[in-house]
Amino acid sequence: MIDIQPTMDDSQVMDFVSRGAVVVEGVVPDEFNRQCETLPGGSINEFACSPRFRSEVLLHPEVAGVARSLLGRNFFMPITAHHHLYEESHPGQTWHSDGLSEYGYGVNHLQCYYYPQDVTLEDGPTMVLPGSHHRLVDREAIAHYGDILGQLSLTVPAGTVVLTHYGIWHKAGPKLNAKRRGMIKFSYFRNSPPKRDWLIESEEIPPYANRERHLYANEVESYRDMARRQRTWNWLCGVDTTPDVSHGAKLFIDARPLSEIVNA
Amino acid sequence: METTVKQWLDESRKKLQAGNLTEADFQQLEGLLTEPRQMLLYLYSKSTNMRSAIASWALYDPTVPYEPTLPSQDVPYDSVIEAVNDGWRIVQFPRAELYQFSDVDNTYLGYEFILEKSTSDL
Repeated sequence: MIDIQPTMDDSQVMDFVSRGAVVVEGVVPDEFNRQCETLPGGSINEFACSPRFRSEVLLHPEVAGVARSLLGRNFFMPITAHHHLYEESHPGQTWHSDGLSEYGYGVNHLQCYYYPQDVTLEDGPTMVLPGSHHRLVDREAIAHYGDILGQLSLTVPAGTVVLTHYGIWHKAGPKLNAKRRGMIKFSYFRNSPPKRDWLIESEEIPPYANRERHLYANEVESYRDMARRQRTWNWLCGVDTTPDVSHGAKLFIDARPLSEIVNA
Repeated sequence: METTVKQWLDESRKKLQAGNLTEADFQQLEGLLTEPRQMLLYLYSKSTNMRSAIASWALYDPTVPYEPTLPSQDVPYDSVIEAVNDGWRIVQFPRAELYQFSDVDNTYLGYEFILEKSTSDL
């Protein structure tokens, strides 16, 4: 089996628990980024299964290392991908999460955004709301939201991959120009029980060190966030036996275990 | 509208006789003939108190073309009461008993005040 090494330590996993996203900046080589310049929009499953995409993106040590850290050994590898391509200006999408909310304490599904080109604020960057993966909502009932304190525009250099908790609120931001802006979306899934087997310095599990309050959260919401982060942390460490209810991940799995992926 | 147009006609006839009817008068008439439109402002307050800080906001103005504008982190008003002081009228208050309250989990952004202004107020 391909040996993927975890890249995150306790503190970085705690950050992910709070924010719901990890940005791995500019790791995919320019030569491969340029190969994506002619990709059409829409489903690109064949491209997602190509040896080059697997080796340069899906199995890139820094990208797969995050998946390995958060999803454990022998995680499910993507065999499908979708190219979200914008070539004209547009007002932007509305806030939403994809599919079902996959609400639960666990981390079972990482939805990833790969940008083969630089993305500036005028290029219609993907926007995410850190911490929103901990909110159970009907995704169609947040479409009227506008600007939210703490929202993050993913202005990134070419070759960046952002790995997110599936339930995070996101949208394509407003695009002011006609430059080509592509984003390839794909997912990794958990395939083994949670266990604290990322980079650790001692076997003793540290308590969750709470992170700062999200700018949009009020006081009582920050208490609920704190409780939920602790619970997710315990779940990831394998010490919380609370059943997880990420039904969505079970619905949408379209992937293969890492152990079945031969060509790296 | 009918009354205001009649007033305009009375005044304009006098101006015409005096020889000082101008293009600005016709622009005023054009404005009078345009039906006012409702503008809506959603403000998400951090509590039901109208003096609380704002967490999120969205303006819906049907008279402005739907074109891309850059995202902002500058709140239009520091509180709901400040928006009211600027002429916005509240058309929906957040009612606590309508929230699906859970002491454990967070859900939607709260607390949603919906305010309106008419284009004729501008």
